Amino acid sequence: MVSQWGIKFAVHLITNHFGKIVAKVCETLLRQGPLTLELLIRFTELSKEHVKNSLLVLIQHNCVQAFICEGGDVDESRVKTQYLVLFDNILHRPRFPKFMEIVLQELDKHCEKVLEGLLRDGRLTLKQMIDRASQGASQENDSAVVADAVRENLCKLLMARYVERCPAAEVTIVEEEIITKKRGAKSDQNFKAPETTIQRVIEAAVPGDAIRFSLTADTGCNSDEETKPADINVAENNEKEQLILWRVNFEEFLRYLRDKLLIENVRARMDDGAATVVRAMLEATRNVDKRVKIENSVPLELDQLFTEVIKTENGLQMTMDRVKAYLVQLGCSSQISFAYTIDLKHIIHLARNEEVESIVLKRYGRDAYRMFRHLSKEKQFCPTDKIAESTLVEKKEAPKLLNRLLKDNYLHMEKLNVSVVGSNKQTQLLMWRVNQPLLWEYVLDEMYHAALNLSLRMAFEQEKDEEILNVPKDKITASEPLQKKYKRLQNVCLLLGSSLLKLDDALMLFHDF
Amino acid sequence: MNRLRESSPQRKRQKVSPSLTNEESILYNLIYSKKDIGIWTGDMKRETNLPVTVFNKTLKELMSKSMIKEVTTIQNKGRKHYMAIEFEPSKEITGGNWYTDGKLDTDFIAALKDVCFKYISKQKVSTLDGFLEWSKKNGIFNSEVTPTQVEDIMKTLVLDDAIVEVTSNGYGDFASIPVGRVCYKCKSNVKVKGELKYGLVPYIPCFACPRISFCSPDGVVSPRTCVYYDKWHVLEVIHI
Repeated sequence: MVSQWGIKFAVHLITNHFGKIVAKVCETLLRQGPLTLELLIRFTELSKEHVKNSLLVLIQHNCVQAFICEGGDVDESRVKTQYLVLFDNILHRPRFPKFMEIVLQELDKHCEKVLEGLLRDGRLTLKQMIDRASQGASQENDSAVVADAVRENLCKLLMARYVERCPAAEVTIVEEEIITKKRGAKSDQNFKAPETTIQRVIEAAVPGDAIRFSLTADTGCNSDEETKPADINVAENNEKEQLILWRVNFEEFLRYLRDKLLIENVRARMDDGAATVVRAMLEATRNVDKRVKIENSVPLELDQLFTEVIKTENGLQMTMDRVKAYLVQLGCSSQISFAYTIDLKHIIHLARNEEVESIVLKRYGRDAYRMFRHLSKEKQFCPTDKIAESTLVEKKEAPKLLNRLLKDNYLHMEKLNVSVVGSNKQTQLLMWRVNQPLLWEYVLDEMYHAALNLSLRMAFEQEKDEEILNVPKDKITASEPLQKKYKRLQNVCLLLGSSLLKLDDALMLFHDF
Repeated sequence: MNRLRESSPQRKRQKVSPSLTNEESILYNLIYSKKDIGIWTGDMKRETNLPVTVFNKTLKELMSKSMIKEVTTIQNKGRKHYMAIEFEPSKEITGGNWYTDGKLDTDFIAALKDVCFKYISKQKVSTLDGFLEWSKKNGIFNSEVTPTQVEDIMKTLVLDDAIVEVTSNGYGDFASIPVGRVCYKCKSNVKVKGELKYGLVPYIPCFACPRISFCSPDGVVSPRTCVYYDKWHVLEVIHI
């Protein structure tokens, strides 16, 4: 369930990129959940043409996925296509510069150009990519050379999994039967949260790994079917290859950014050695599990990990014992046949806690920060006096600070009536605790709110001084007031832009990782 | 710091004075029965039912005979609280080791924290015993500082995120510390004054703003008209 400010922020992004009509369709889908075309028209009160075109835009930019839900009591003749908005993909839009920077660092500027086209247009065929490149290239370049270069760059991007085949245009999911299970200890142990419609639709739409990242056109057949090489006509195949739609694989970029965060967090908390071990572990298991939200790293044997560690500059001086010692410090378990695994969820939780704590420090001061950290560590209800004693905060001040944190939803409080020993009197104890999952949701919503406000202010500042952007540079340098105004606008855009980028890092930490 | 020497509560046997009047012994017995918790004058009046003038006179008499003493409570400093002379005020009354006259001794705590932090920064890694040994050897404190007090200080430094509690692995900085021993280490991202360097969002305009809950495009405060932004811009321009 997306929070209120999350929806507002997503709608703001879509309004900025595609206008108000598309944003209205998007907002309706975000607020109402998956809808059919008829219902969308009714809810948005827009014309059929407008809604249809808006959906096409959103699908082109990977923000909407169509699906059909079969099964249940629904009459088969009445089964209709529904449209599901992909909130995460909308939030990825301001991250495009980050994704391009990654490709520039990891691959080269030619691949970055191909990626830029895909980010700008959402979905492209190889032919469209070649056309795009041909327009930008000088006339001397032979079109065949350009085509080969684009093909090669696309191959590189596919190898690195930064680009993937577009998912099926429309998928069919079967409505799950509600099975009432017997309650008991055994069923509790095996309990797994049911998949949401979004998860099921996305999973069904994504092609199998074998063809998802393959440029060679074994098209026309299902990923489960076998293709006989003799049956494939080369010319026909090339033609089909040109028609395959490609898009950016956001998951891979998020995984890259998640790994970076994990490594830097360990470096800050521990040292370079520990960070080297974590990097090696993630690098060695990179192709085994490509998901972003995983609790533990893929198990790896010590020998394999050591081989990966000594490949790095920092790891060259490390001995096997030292790597083992770092693994112990990282709290790694080696229960599965001498293979080690790192608790990634724990590191992410630590990073989230650090973020929330730094907010508490800035807003409520050092005493409140100490009390908050104490409660975070205790993970249970604590009485006011005990908190003040453990954190060396004045006992009269402690309740005031705790109440401020409670008012702003940073703490949870319960009142407890206890009888005083040796008398009939009853006294009330205030018990405090940090409810992490609820708090993280609240902080995430605050982040969406701040991101929306920052974005609106940035647009306002640019709008306010729009005329100065159209003034020629030599005119600006000649006039002092103009120069001052220009410098101010530059600084404001720099500050707000960098703030938005930082806030986006925090958004990913709380929402995507 | 001298107060630390008197901090351990010592109980003596109750001395029964034969020269007490009836009212005096009623009041004294009541105060004595409350032991190291003591009793407030309001409660005394209610429980003894003595007329106000008699009550005040009796209380004065007991004070002059040095049989009771006035103590300050951290719960209510304005209220007069009395206790038999034989008892030392309990932790509930004084607030504990770190309180003097019902007030948290922040100067003492800050001084101790500073010494501990500087020692760990210099040593890179230290155990609790290592610090105690060093402070004893160099006569850092005028009065005796107990291991529990140092432990309290280390814990608050950990909560301040100035130092971290780690287990020795026997390598590098931990070479002189046996493997598995709990020790304290300075955080690499802490400046000298213990100021945090990281944190993505607290310094972001809007997020740090206390009025964010009122601020929305159609709210009491709007991002377009917000006056605080100019403040942020000025501040940041100075930094640039």
